[in-house]
Amino acid sequence: MHGVDSMRPAAGDISDTIVRVDGLSKRYGRTVALDGVSLAIRPNELFALLGPNGAGKTTLIHILCTILAPDSGTVTLAGFDVVRQPRRARQNLGVVFQEPSVDDRLTVFENLNFHGLVYQVPAARRRQRIDELLALVELENWRHALVRSLSAGMKRRVEIARALIHDSAVLILDEPTSGLDAQSRERIWAYLMRLRQERALTIIVTTHYIEEVEGCDRICIIDRGRILAIDTPASLKAAHGRELIRVIPDDAATTDAIRTIYPAAISGSDDTIVIEADGDAVAEAFLKKFGGRVRRLSIDSPSLESVFLSLTGRELRDQPAGKRERTYAFGRRGGEHTK
Amino acid sequence: MGQLGALYAIWLREVKRALRDRGQLVGGLSRPILWVILLGIGLNPYFRGEVYGEARFVVPYTYLQFIFPAVIVLNILYTSVQSAVSVIWDREFGFLREILVSPMPRSLILFGKVLGGATVAMVHGSLVLALARFADVSLVWGDVLYGLWLMFLLSFAMTCFGVIIANHIRSFEGFGVFSNAVILPLYFTSSSVFPLDPALTRAQALVVYPEWLVFLVQINPLTYAVDALRGTFIHFHQFPPMLGPIVIATMAVGFFIVALFNFRRS
Repeated sequence: MHGVDSMRPAAGDISDTIVRVDGLSKRYGRTVALDGVSLAIRPNELFALLGPNGAGKTTLIHILCTILAPDSGTVTLAGFDVVRQPRRARQNLGVVFQEPSVDDRLTVFENLNFHGLVYQVPAARRRQRIDELLALVELENWRHALVRSLSAGMKRRVEIARALIHDSAVLILDEPTSGLDAQSRERIWAYLMRLRQERALTIIVTTHYIEEVEGCDRICIIDRGRILAIDTPASLKAAHGRELIRVIPDDAATTDAIRTIYPAAISGSDDTIVIEADGDAVAEAFLKKFGGRVRRLSIDSPSLESVFLSLTGRELRDQPAGKRERTYAFGRRGGEHTK
Repeated sequence: MGQLGALYAIWLREVKRALRDRGQLVGGLSRPILWVILLGIGLNPYFRGEVYGEARFVVPYTYLQFIFPAVIVLNILYTSVQSAVSVIWDREFGFLREILVSPMPRSLILFGKVLGGATVAMVHGSLVLALARFADVSLVWGDVLYGLWLMFLLSFAMTCFGVIIANHIRSFEGFGVFSNAVILPLYFTSSSVFPLDPALTRAQALVVYPEWLVFLVQINPLTYAVDALRGTFIHFHQFPPMLGPIVIATMAVGFFIVALFNFRRS
């Protein structure tokens, strides 16, 4: 039998790339989910995939996890091709999926132990890892609680602990913080940061919360199946960031007037109009003309949000619940035959 | 260890989930009581086949004894098909993904799940044995052991069957309706609640029952599963004794292959 260690290739095989994606394409019927995506992720990097819902992030993640076959292109993970050597690739992989995937009817410990057994972690090592990881995600006191009695944030923490039991080299988290309250989101990021200090670990994380990716090593902005930019947060801001003027006009006439003068202006949430300001002169000119006719005005300094806006021409926003979310809601209500 | 440990993990999870599901346990207990005690005792006096004073086919057993093995099959059938709900559950609620991204081969994942479901179904089937006294069935160790083995094989086959159904159903709601529409017709046409005398010629059988019913009973594989258990527990066969075990084993292998094919594709 192969132990976990023997499956791990020597560090030399990986060289300076642990995940390599080359010319990856995937379409569902007529919808193009991924359109010739290429990227390389370095070992121990905290790599963020940022994009709105439907940008192709989850498709990319599913191909990385070997549960979806690409139409064309190749992906290697820790030196293993995910299509030709999926089981070897999986051995190096820890995944936290977008939808919760813990077993509600098992306890926290049982869920973790199940994972350890399935990944063939020896008994002594399994116990040790479970203790360590429960401590990391601060769930020691919930060890024998049924998962169904846990909050959404706690379930997420169980999943993060679970993904690390087999000493995975790459940790993939698909929207780990979506649907959680601010406090839980902060905690989850704190755990990820602490993990990186404790051991060598490559983390790939997708999110549509732009404020969360500030601390990442590199950010890949993806929209409609294409990569728009890959760089460090600082370089992205320097290259693409603009000042943004956000205004809520007093009345419809003002709105029209603003739109005529600034045809590139974008409609934000509520009645906000967002104008990209390239240099101070734009803001000054705007203030002179419309200063007295707006209810609210703010000027944002270059941020990742403005980077995103200037690259995609859109703001990141949540979208209504899809079919899957409705199925979840049905399950939570205790639909027939679900429990 | 190794792959066996992984198999054990999947098996254990299925068993634990079933043990924590009160509803399923209550069903597993109440069903045999309903069928054996109420239906069995109620119909017992009407079973001997004398019509107009002329003895037709006489089963040398009471009705209680006659349906006792069939109720075992019924309990197995319900539990097996029910356990396939966990396949849908896992698929809809993401746990399947957790298993699919693990280094375990697909065939082993399915095998573990089916073994778990089959274990639970066999246990539910053997719950019926506790009612043996009421049904006037005397249990002998040898019979019980052989019966448990047959029950396990049947549970395995029926769990695979449930998985196949589950793979074609997209929602929980659909599964409830569908499983009932499958379980009860299969059960009623398996010569479980009424005998079909194979000693009679086809012409004679058709005097007693309409042709379509005789046909349905004969093509229903469960007929032979019921017959095998009847042979084991009350030593009464309506068909050649070897036919039952052969049909059960064939179903176990055949359904597993089909289920695996379905499971790999999904």
